Amino acid sequence: MELVHTSHEALRLLVNGDAALWQIVWVSLKISLSALLLISPLAIAAGYLLATRRFPGRRIIVVGVQALFAFPTVVVGLLLYMLLSRQGLFGSLQLLFSQTAMMIGQMIIAAPILIAFTLSAVQGADSRIRETAIVLGAGRLCTAMTVLREVRFGVMAALFNGFGRVISEVGCALMVGGNIAGMTRNMPTAIALETTKGEFAQGVALGIVLMVLALGVNFAMSWAQGAGEQHR
Amino acid sequence: MKRAVLNESVVSKRMLNLGLQRVLVSCRGLRRSVGVRRILDVARLELERGRTYLLCGPNGAGKTSLLRVLAGLDAARCDTLQFDGADIDLRNYPRQMRTQLGFVHHHPVMFSTSVFGNITFGLRAAGLSREEVRRRAAAAIAWAGIQSLANRPPQALSAGEKQRVALARVHALDPILYLLDEPTANLDGSGRIMVTRLIEAIADEGRTLLIACHDRELLGLDGVVRLHMCEGRMDAAP
Ligand SMILES: Nc1ncnc2c1ncn2[C@@H]1O[C@H](COP(=O)(O)OP(=O)(O)O)[C@@H](O)[C@H]1O
Ligand SMILES: [Mg+2]
Repeated sequence: MELVHTSHEALRLLVNGDAALWQIVWVSLKISLSALLLISPLAIAAGYLLATRRFPGRRIIVVGVQALFAFPTVVVGLLLYMLLSRQGLFGSLQLLFSQTAMMIGQMIIAAPILIAFTLSAVQGADSRIRETAIVLGAGRLCTAMTVLREVRFGVMAALFNGFGRVISEVGCALMVGGNIAGMTRNMPTAIALETTKGEFAQGVALGIVLMVLALGVNFAMSWAQGAGEQHR
Repeated sequence: MKRAVLNESVVSKRMLNLGLQRVLVSCRGLRRSVGVRRILDVARLELERGRTYLLCGPNGAGKTSLLRVLAGLDAARCDTLQFDGADIDLRNYPRQMRTQLGFVHHHPVMFSTSVFGNITFGLRAAGLSREEVRRRAAAAIAWAGIQSLANRPPQALSAGEKQRVALARVHALDPILYLLDEPTANLDGSGRIMVTRLIEAIADEGRTLLIACHDRELLGLDGVVRLHMCEGRMDAAP
């Protein structure tokens, strides 16, 4: 009975456009999409370079990137907290408990995923694509853009995967964001903390939004991977 | 009529060539190793301007490797290498040499944009104006007789069609040396004939060709010089 009531209340919040609820959704999307937008050019470039260049220490970096994949986000949050806290190295920037801090955390969390997925997409590309661009006189940047365009579905899969990871990440957002209403309260932190205060309906409503997003991202990812294979 | 015009320009180009270095590529002691294996060991290679060279030899002789090294795609060591009179350091492959070469893979790949996008790729990379790109691309398409392919998805082309688009793609850049890796291998009757005609047209323009190949069809070309490779070595000096 309680569950039915809560679900009903959750749907009502969603359909009626509850301001507090959609504010939380907006904060989540804003932070995660900005983080992705800011880190992806750098991470994709890094993935491309790791796939195409041979230099001493390359192997170690690749292994390191893959290890970061499994790095607990709450530990990322902890390290970032220590750096941003008043006594920390970057304490003077006063970034702790801000959207910027959350964004930085999500950039750190997304980077290894973007790098590793781009790396494998570029490595899987036909080497003749890159060679053809080179012999036709393309410079380094043009060659890179050409190869990345040919593996665009793999790059898209990287972006979807990175987004899926940061949008639902709770540990780091909580540590450096602090779940401040209207500012750093995003979907995962709201669900984790507000529910314990009895806000069941809001928790369920946000859970539904998060699940729809996750499912959407997953569909998009399998579509991108399927399209990439057909493309071969 | 068209032929006459072509011949005239060929004659003038050939005359122009007389004022230039007769030897286009001169190379001594070219070596490439993969691991401990030496896959190229060419004591001497000399290519004269305006000639067509057939690089023959069995599978694994090193034909592809030699073309790739000259195109700057694979690393190699070389005692001396001169291209068009200039000393070239293979470890620091100069870009201006790359733009003078037209390398075509054994099985050319197409960028997935469009056939037209493939033809214009090198022209755009060279930073030409938009009109110039369009003009030279149209000329290359007409030259290769691929007007009917221009709007087809590049991946859907047959092997022969891809080879023709690939030839048009480099021809648009007008290189002085063409490096073609088995351009007619695995092609059917008409595809083979069309590709052969394009290669003959390149030779008629007075360009230099180095063609890896082990079929007899191209031997019908005028004045071809046959080079033979085996186990990474060049059998006899031309
Ligand atoms: N990247 C490479 N790694 C290892 N061996 C190679 C590589 N490229 C070519 N080879 C070897 O070099 C030899 C020459 O190959 P290739 O130039 O392709 O010969 P061809 O084109 O005449 O058939 C072959 O034995 C081949 O196995
Ligand atoms: Mg070969």
